[in-house]
Amino acid sequence: MKKSLLEVVVKGIRQLTPRVREYLLCSLDASPLPSYAPGSHIELHTVSPESGPIIRHYSLVGGAGLWDDTPDTYRIAVQREDRRRGSAHIHDSFGIGTILRVSVPKNNFPLDRRDTKSLLLAGGIGITPILSMLRSLVRRHRDFELVYAGRAGADLAYCADVQRLAGARGRIHESGSDNHLDLRALLTAQPGGTTVYICGPAAMVDATRREASTLGWVDTRVRSELFIAGPTGDEVPFDVELKASKRRIHVGRDTTILDALAAAGVHALHDCRRGECGLCPMTVLEADGPIQHRDTYLSEEERTSQKTLCICVSRIKGARLLLDA
Amino acid sequence: MSELMEIEPPFVFESGGFADHTTPLVRDCWYIAGRSGEISRNIISRRLLGVDVALYRTLAGEPIAVRNRCPHRSFPLAKGKLVGDILVCGYHGMQFDPSGHCVNMPSMPIVPTNASVRTFPVVERAPLVWIWMGDPDKADEALVPGTHWLSDPLWKSVTGDFHMQSDYVSMHENLLDQTHFPFLHPGTVGTPEYARSKLNVREEGDVVIIDRALRNSAPPGIYGIPAGIMDKKVDRLSEARFASPAIHTAFAKIIDLAPDAGKQAEYRFNITHLITPETQTSIHYWWFNSRNFKLDDADADQFLSDASTQAYLEDVDALQWILEVVRKDHEKQFDLNFAPDKPALLMRRSLYHRAAAEAGYRL
Repeated sequence: MKKSLLEVVVKGIRQLTPRVREYLLCSLDASPLPSYAPGSHIELHTVSPESGPIIRHYSLVGGAGLWDDTPDTYRIAVQREDRRRGSAHIHDSFGIGTILRVSVPKNNFPLDRRDTKSLLLAGGIGITPILSMLRSLVRRHRDFELVYAGRAGADLAYCADVQRLAGARGRIHESGSDNHLDLRALLTAQPGGTTVYICGPAAMVDATRREASTLGWVDTRVRSELFIAGPTGDEVPFDVELKASKRRIHVGRDTTILDALAAAGVHALHDCRRGECGLCPMTVLEADGPIQHRDTYLSEEERTSQKTLCICVSRIKGARLLLDA
Repeated sequence: MSELMEIEPPFVFESGGFADHTTPLVRDCWYIAGRSGEISRNIISRRLLGVDVALYRTLAGEPIAVRNRCPHRSFPLAKGKLVGDILVCGYHGMQFDPSGHCVNMPSMPIVPTNASVRTFPVVERAPLVWIWMGDPDKADEALVPGTHWLSDPLWKSVTGDFHMQSDYVSMHENLLDQTHFPFLHPGTVGTPEYARSKLNVREEGDVVIIDRALRNSAPPGIYGIPAGIMDKKVDRLSEARFASPAIHTAFAKIIDLAPDAGKQAEYRFNITHLITPETQTSIHYWWFNSRNFKLDDADADQFLSDASTQAYLEDVDALQWILEVVRKDHEKQFDLNFAPDKPALLMRRSLYHRAAAEAGYRL
């Protein structure tokens, strides 16, 4: 539909923690890649022999320390999940010289440069867009505060960089098994006009929003990245049948219906790939399992009807889905 | 393969190069977006470094710069309207807050989170509004050049502007090149002695500075007439400064060697040239001629305004003629350089290095 993919080559790999690996993706001829601002991410398009086409979203880190990556480079950090999923495929199969396809950078989590104070909250691998924002704030001498939370310090990627850049305005919070971050105290201490940028586990994002709402903050003061399309772990593979063409297409555990169709040469209308734009819903004729809706576009009524789904993010927990297409 | 995007072949930088009108523009720099008075509750648009920008003020008076192009169907947002601090696209009514976030899309049940419009860092230093068109991460307000004399009550300025079909490299060269004064501007700034007076050139990082002292000679009209010392011998001390790709300042101190009883001996002029590329071959140009004497003298205002306008119009003509020849004449020419071109060559080299660094080269 849109010509928006770039070819890049893996030029560097660094093991940041036992589970997180950093990849430097560079243009093939050192020409500048499209530019991006803090909070931006790219889609990484890859094909796993087990699951088929996989698209994962990775925030652009932007550089190391205060040092910027050159314009031919995108820097991402990939955390290996416990299950044998897309990230495991990346860790196992990407080496120096591997050629990949990525989308142009997209920014759904922009840093508002007009903030009087920014509170950055990172949970675990959620540090990647936050680090990019931190570098921006430090460079521009803006007021900020940062909390980087994780179970154990040794698991926190870029921990030394973050501590060095943030100095006294940053703190590392090791939550261990029960030392929860006191979000209420943190938010209460903020001067009026502080904007919060949070990237981390859904529970942390939700808790922050809840606390802010309790304190009477307007919604727009809490900004978070919405990684709707991320796997939840209970996905199962299934087959899609298209009524009109009578084709049967397999959808792997880590593949979306949209991508499985595209790989089979069926190009469905779509744009955002995150269940928002409303271009991709298809009519469901039969499904032998419940639909797992992961979009934000469909109404509650459409959702419960089980008659339609956004093929870019939603799937079924069954073996066969017949679509009116 | 059909999904792969074509990346425009990049400009190839080589070591030892000098900028000209074909060199990519330096983007990581504060440029002038407009005068404070031009930016208001009425949205205006202006193309800056090749990008269409819409400019307006919030209810609180803060200047805002957003891309003049709706992310949905490219409708120019300056053709929309302001409702409070919300910019409303005139095509489908998408609404954007001053940070560029989409806050409402009337035809959708939800607000799409990917529908923001790019905003640009801006800083107001009245009477100017500066904008950063490069990497917003590098937009440090401490880098905004000082122009305190434009708002200082101890100074008085006259001002004007031009929209020119020329390139910013040639414009900066013209401003650093003082040997053209007696010939292109015989009636105003130029005197023959001045063309031959010795100049000292120095570089401070990316800044190129020329110092020049011309002792005991007749003043040029543009300084002598408003000061009322055309019959005197003066020392003329001047500094011309390529301060950044966006600004050139020229400071002059005229010292009357035998001041009349009760009159001052020293007259200062600060001339500010502000240049923002519209494209690689067209520029927005604002000038200010500021003085620290006769602050309330309407005749001095009129004279300095007329003389400056005439001199700068001569520069505008010359630079437009030059670019037209350079672009349209088919036989290539490599222009000669001479000793007086040293400041301009240092400036061209600096612009080239900065553009190369932005493109990722380490020359």
